[in-house]
Order: sequence, then C-alpha cells, then structure tokens
Amino acid sequence: MVALTGCALLPFVEFRANRIVSGEPESVLAAGIAGWVLVAFVVLALAGAVAPERARGPLLLAAGAGSGLALLWALGVAAVRLQQGAPAIARVSIGPGAWLAGLGALVVWFAGTRATGSARVRRTAGAVALLGVAAVLMWGGLAELSIAREYAVQSRRFWGLVRQHLVLAGSGVGFGVLIGIPLGVLASRNRVVREVGLGVVSVIQTIPSMAMLGLLIAPLSALGLAAIGTTPAVIALTLYALLPVMRNTFVGLAGVDPGVIDAGRGMGMGRLQLLVRVEAPLALPLVIEGVRAAAVLVIGIAAVTAFIGAGGLGILVFQGWGQQADDLTLLGAIPMVVLAVLADISMRGLRRLVVSPGIEEGAVS
Amino acid sequence: MITLRDVTKSYGEVTAVDRVSFEVPSGEVCVLIGPSGCGKTTTLRMINRLIEPTSGTIEIDGRDIMDSRPEELRRHIGYVIQSVGLFPHLTVAENVATVPKLLGWERRRYEPKALELLEIVGLPPAEYAEKYPRQLSGGQAQRVGVARALAADPPLLLMDEPFGAVDPLTRERLQAEFARIQRELRKTVIFVTHDVDEAIKLADRIALMRAGRLEQYDTPETLLDHPASKFVHDFMGSDRALKRLGRACVADVMRTDVESTTDGTRAIPREACTDSRFVYLTDESGVLEGWVDCRVLDAGTPPEDAGTPVDWREAAVHPETTLKDALSRMLGFGFRNVAVVDAQGRLVGEVSLAAIEATMADADTHIANLEEGEVLGALPDEEARS
Repeated sequence: MVALTGCALLPFVEFRANRIVSGEPESVLAAGIAGWVLVAFVVLALAGAVAPERARGPLLLAAGAGSGLALLWALGVAAVRLQQGAPAIARVSIGPGAWLAGLGALVVWFAGTRATGSARVRRTAGAVALLGVAAVLMWGGLAELSIAREYAVQSRRFWGLVRQHLVLAGSGVGFGVLIGIPLGVLASRNRVVREVGLGVVSVIQTIPSMAMLGLLIAPLSALGLAAIGTTPAVIALTLYALLPVMRNTFVGLAGVDPGVIDAGRGMGMGRLQLLVRVEAPLALPLVIEGVRAAAVLVIGIAAVTAFIGAGGLGILVFQGWGQQADDLTLLGAIPMVVLAVLADISMRGLRRLVVSPGIEEGAVS
Repeated sequence: MITLRDVTKSYGEVTAVDRVSFEVPSGEVCVLIGPSGCGKTTTLRMINRLIEPTSGTIEIDGRDIMDSRPEELRRHIGYVIQSVGLFPHLTVAENVATVPKLLGWERRRYEPKALELLEIVGLPPAEYAEKYPRQLSGGQAQRVGVARALAADPPLLLMDEPFGAVDPLTRERLQAEFARIQRELRKTVIFVTHDVDEAIKLADRIALMRAGRLEQYDTPETLLDHPASKFVHDFMGSDRALKRLGRACVADVMRTDVESTTDGTRAIPREACTDSRFVYLTDESGVLEGWVDCRVLDAGTPPEDAGTPVDWREAAVHPETTLKDALSRMLGFGFRNVAVVDAQGRLVGEVSLAAIEATMADADTHIANLEEGEVLGALPDEEARS
C-alpha cells in the first residue's frame, strides 16, 4: 500500500538527452489517461485491504493485476510521448516511482492469491493477467523505453548470453547434485564423512564468490587446467551448489523415523532396499528443497563468473556498469531474476509431482 | 517350534541376556515379560537376527537361524513393534504388501492378500486400503502393522510391545482382536510386554525374565499358582485371584441350558421357573431383548408386567469375555446372573456368580497355601540374594 501510494510522489520516468547524462524526472501524469487508470487501481487496492473477508481476495487480485498492467501501459504511453520529437539517442528510463509501483502491484497480487480460497478464481485471474501482459507487450509502446532499446541493440547477443548463463548454472547444479547427494547419503551413514564433509562444504559456502574464483587459480594452474573461462566457473558453481544439496540430503535421511527403519529392517530389507524404497522417498522433499536452493543461489553467483570470461548475463551487467548505462545493467539483471524465479517454480512443480501425498502437508485430508 | 539354547548376548562387560533356554511349540503364544532392562527385547531381536547372539543357538523348526541370510530369515518372520513403523509415503495396502513384494510375489497374488488381511484385522479395505498412515488413529495403525506382519503368511510372529503405545480402551480391543486372529491362524508368537495382565490374557506360556536371566518359563496358571521364586510371586502381583479370572473366559463356565421364549412374557410357562431364576426374552432370530425374574412371577406379578427390556450391548457378555470382566459386569448391575450372547446379540447361555466363585475358590486355595508359607517356605531366601 505504502509503495503504491508513494509511487505517485516519486518521479515515474526520467527523460534523458542520451543514455549517459542524468535525466529530468516526469510524474506519472506524463502518461495522461493511463496514469489516471493506474492511480485508480491503487485506490482499488486500498479498498481491497479494508474490504470484508470474502471480497478481499478477488478485489486484491483485480487491483494487483490491474495496477501492474496499467503501470506497463502508462510506461509505454509516457515513453512514446516523451520520445516524440526528441533525437534518436534520447532515452526514457523507468523511474523509482514506477519501480515502487511495480513492487506494490506484486505485493498486492500475492496478498490477493493468499486471501483467495478458490483455486479456480486464482487460476482464472492468473490467466487473465498473463493475457494482459502479453497484450501490452504486443502493443509496442514499451519498445520506446530505454531498456527495450538496449535489448534491440543487444538482441543478437542477448539470447546467446541467456543460454550461456543457463549452461553455467545448470552444470553447477547438475554436478552439485551428482556429488552432493552421494555425499549426503555417506554423511548419514558415516560419522567421519558427516563431520569433515559438512564442515568443509560449509566453509566453502562462506568464501565470497570473487575470492573463490581467485582461490581456484593456483590449484587449477598446478593441475594444468585453465584458470579462467568456463572450467573454473563450473567448478566454483558446483562447490556452491554442494552445501544445500548435501546438507539437505543428510538432514532428510537423518530425519527418517527410527521406528520406520527398524520395521523395514525387521521385514527383511537390505541396506540398499531400505535406502531406495524407504529412506529416499521420505528424504525426497528436503533433497528437492536443497536442489531448489542451490539452483537459485547458483543462478545468482553465475553472474560473477563473467569476470573470468565464462560469459553469461553477468557480461551485460558489468558492461552496463562500465558504460554507466543503467538500463543495460537491468537487461542483464532482470532476466537473471526471471531465471531464478522459473527455477524456483519448476522445482516446486517437480516436488508436487514426485513426492508421495502421504508425506506432503495438506496433500490429503 | 522355536528353540533357544543357552542364548547369550554380551556388550563388552555387560551381559544383556545370560544363557537363556526355552522352547515354544508351534501355534503357541509365548510372552516374554520382566522389568525394563531384563533383556526381553534383546532376546526377541536375536530371533530375527536384528541383534546377533554372542553365543548359544536359536532354531526355528529345527533349522539354525545362522544358516540363512538375515534378510531372508526376516522375510519369513512377522515383525510388529510398538512404534508400528508404517511407511508414511505408502498407502495402507502398499504397506501391507511390503514383504510379499520383497519376496517377489506378483501383483495379482499380493494385492488380494493385502485386502484380505485388512479385512481380518477389522479395517474394511474399501475404506482403508488407499489411505495414508497419517490418516489413521494409533489403534488403526497398529492393526495395519499386524496385517503387514502377517502378509507373507509367516509361521512365526515377533511382537515387541505391540499394544504399548495406545490408550487402555484401544489396547483392550486390540488384545481381543489379536486373541481372535490367533485362534484362527495359529501362529507361533513371541510377544514382549511389561504388562502382567496382558501377558496373562494372551499367553499360552510366559517367560519371566530378570537381569538377563530366565526366572521361570511356564503357563500363566503355574506362574500364578506355583511361582518358582519370591520375585516371580511379587512380579505377578498380589491380586492373583482376579488375575486368574482374567485368564478364563465365560465360555469355560457358562451354562447353555437356559430358558428363553420368543412370545413375550405372556406365554412364559410357569414350570420353566422351577430351576432357573431367569427366563430370557428374544426376538425371532434369537437376539436378546430382555428377561423375566422368576421371583417376580412368584410374587404374583402378572406375566405381561414382569419383563425387563435390556440392550444386549450393555447388559450381556460374550463367550470370549474374560471372567474378570464378566464379574465386573455383574457387580455393576447387581445381578448374580448375566446373559451370554454371540457377536450378533443372539442368546447362547448364562453365566452365574456361583460358577465364577467356583473358579476363584480354586485359586483361593493356592493363595492360602502361599500365605501360610507352604510353597514359599521351600524357596531359597530371595531377600538375602537381592
């Protein structure tokens, strides 16, 4: 609420003569009627907050989606208007007011999903919101914004970098899982592996990512491997993915009810059968949770590996900083956020798919 | 048949089980009992090699348990534990099918078997087969635990305080169910408990252990009437007469030649009252509906007013009810007789206080003997030893 009302007072967009000079603020009303629509939805959100319980959910959903869409629309309208008659190198950047408004719209949206009991209402609202976003993107007004212009310039490189980023993060998580799960299993069986292994992996986790890349140079050179480029990047990312995966595997296995283990052994299960048929399915929710945490973590850290020439979206971020072109930085940063969110969503989906309803809270009544 | 010979388990200096020998004939229930730490659970767990004996031999039907792989051995021994240990990620039916699956049975063989066993333990499969363990109450979970142990039809069942974690009411029901199932299936059962009443109710033989040693191994009656030591005497408790009643059931002492009529009170033949104090009233199918006290008739009350309508669920006992419970029912109602009905409420007989007294008198003699020191006097001085 605060974010949404505050947005009206802060600069909504900034007009700059070119991509580097600082801009002149413009208020949300520069967007004309679209700005007023946005303000109207903000008021609706406030109304939703005080509405009676039954109406609150749908009202908040409508206000969240509406203000989000109106925001995009208003940005587009303002951009088109301000760009008119300005030289081609002039830029319209998204101002702090719009960022706050966007944040507010998301908060209202998620408050709405929590307050809505019916899954059908939630799904319908989600579909309508997605359609709305698609429509606003098709309309093309947003293409006048600076970030879209940066994309237009970088479009050739952009998707290659996204792919590179995914490959880096994916291999980090992949190797992390391949090594971390067996280590977690060993840790649950063996006290030495547990104490030494978890200790070492925890220490690794505390090393700052930049320091890690530096620390890897010496040992890798000694082994005759490249100290810059993809190899050290994947090694570093694997090391970071290791802790959440290994620790969660261990905790998951250690948390299995001893009575269940006793029953399994007493019925004639061998060690491997016990692990595969009983312990693994019971530890699975925590293991998947570990992989999810690792994925989100590694997608973020993969940005830093651009420093050692491993590529990825980090390149756009660092170039943006180097050129003081904030919107180029955003072009790198926003897709990373999207990737992290997608990784998060897909791991939750996987969990719903593979974990037995017998051990998921709320899966069966 | 299962035979233990000089079975010993030591942990370094500590001897948990010390040269224990006993034999359980096929189809009998042997209850291992004793104070905590006496080695009863250790003894049980050595039989399916969850604990390896330090020395001594254990044979099942003449075969040394050390001759087969532990996993293979365990698949042919049912195992029920206090914490139940159902697999929470599997449905009830899948839990029951665990051992058959380990044995490589095909689905078309283990599935009907699992459903049949759920039926036997009193959980209608249509309602329970697809539930998950966390949807069950403690009592239901342990029924599934028993069904799971029986799934591969093992000749031997090991039960480690199976009814120890449920409330007293559920425990009593589970005990009765277990007794019923055991009468049907005739498994050889080794049953660990620390509850003397439970042991007396369920055991064919009781092995009373103390500090790793077998104190006495005999029928519950013998343990009650002829304790081998003061320890056994004390452990079995002072209310042994009542405990003996927990051992016998109504079927042993009831009379079946009771008078009953389906025509209401009107048609009660006067002569029916000559040697019986009660005439029971039933419906067409024999379900108990009430009774007539003949003294009331003698006092001149017209027959149509003499009947007392009753609900058999409250006022009657079953043939398998223990005499202890039947006695408490009589005391509660203030009658010297109580009707016996089957599970559907059909009248099958009557049990009288006199019949129960006769059983008690038996026990009383023994107790009197004990208290006069006739038995105890012959025993070594336990106080001095402990």
